[in-house]
Amino acid sequence: MHSWTQRLMGAATTAAVLLAAACAAASALDAFHVPAVQAQAHVTKINRFHKQINGNDKVTLTFNVSANLESLFTWNTKQVFVFLTAEYENAKNSLNQVSLWDHIVPDKEHANLQLEVKSKYPLIDQGSSLRGKKVQLVLHWHVMPNAGAMIRNRMMLSEFKLPDAYSS
Amino acid sequence: MDWQGQKRAEMLMQVLLVASAVAAFLAGYVRADFQFMLLVYAAGVVLTALVTVPNWPFFNRNPLKWLDAAEAERHPRPQVSAGAAAGGKKKSGKNK
Repeated sequence: MHSWTQRLMGAATTAAVLLAAACAAASALDAFHVPAVQAQAHVTKINRFHKQINGNDKVTLTFNVSANLESLFTWNTKQVFVFLTAEYENAKNSLNQVSLWDHIVPDKEHANLQLEVKSKYPLIDQGSSLRGKKVQLVLHWHVMPNAGAMIRNRMMLSEFKLPDAYSS
Repeated sequence: MDWQGQKRAEMLMQVLLVASAVAAFLAGYVRADFQFMLLVYAAGVVLTALVTVPNWPFFNRNPLKWLDAAEAERHPRPQVSAGAAAGGKKKSGKNK
């Protein structure tokens, strides 16, 4: 009745349950981790600001990003996805979010970012409301764990004002 | 494996697995290395399987004591009575 295959199955099942418990505990510990992210971003140049043929405003920017994301990493962190959005309000939507730049941080050694970037993705409005618009830069990050729940957070950075006229 | 051995194997399996899970978690946390936790735990699981899965002599220290044949003959099994046996056989309906 009590064969070695039964004992092997019993051991495997118990081992799997305990592994799940260890992963859950690791994820739970991450919830108590309080990171201290320091970040700044400033628009240094508005390269081109024009209206596309379809009527949407389009801006390409150059900006500085400096972000220290080292404190986000714990023993249960696989990687961190970080992206910068431009957020503004217009008559159509109370919140518009446009991703300008993103980056994957593979480990703690590469988590101190000092970059000057030409926007990876252009800022394109759904319509033509960008002239003279005040735009907020927001840094978002998704902390992807080895096991458990993903943690998302964001930080308001600088504001900038787009020119009142198109550049071309 | 005898009855006591089965009980002992079950206990050993659970205790060893819980101990290796706790040890692996602490080791991984201290070294800040998730993969290290998995390696330590895998080692613990393999060790547990080696100790509790095969039928080691350790699990056969309390063999079952069977009655010897002479003792069994002195207490014969109750026989099924003739009336009950006839009632159990209902072959008559088959030959209709």
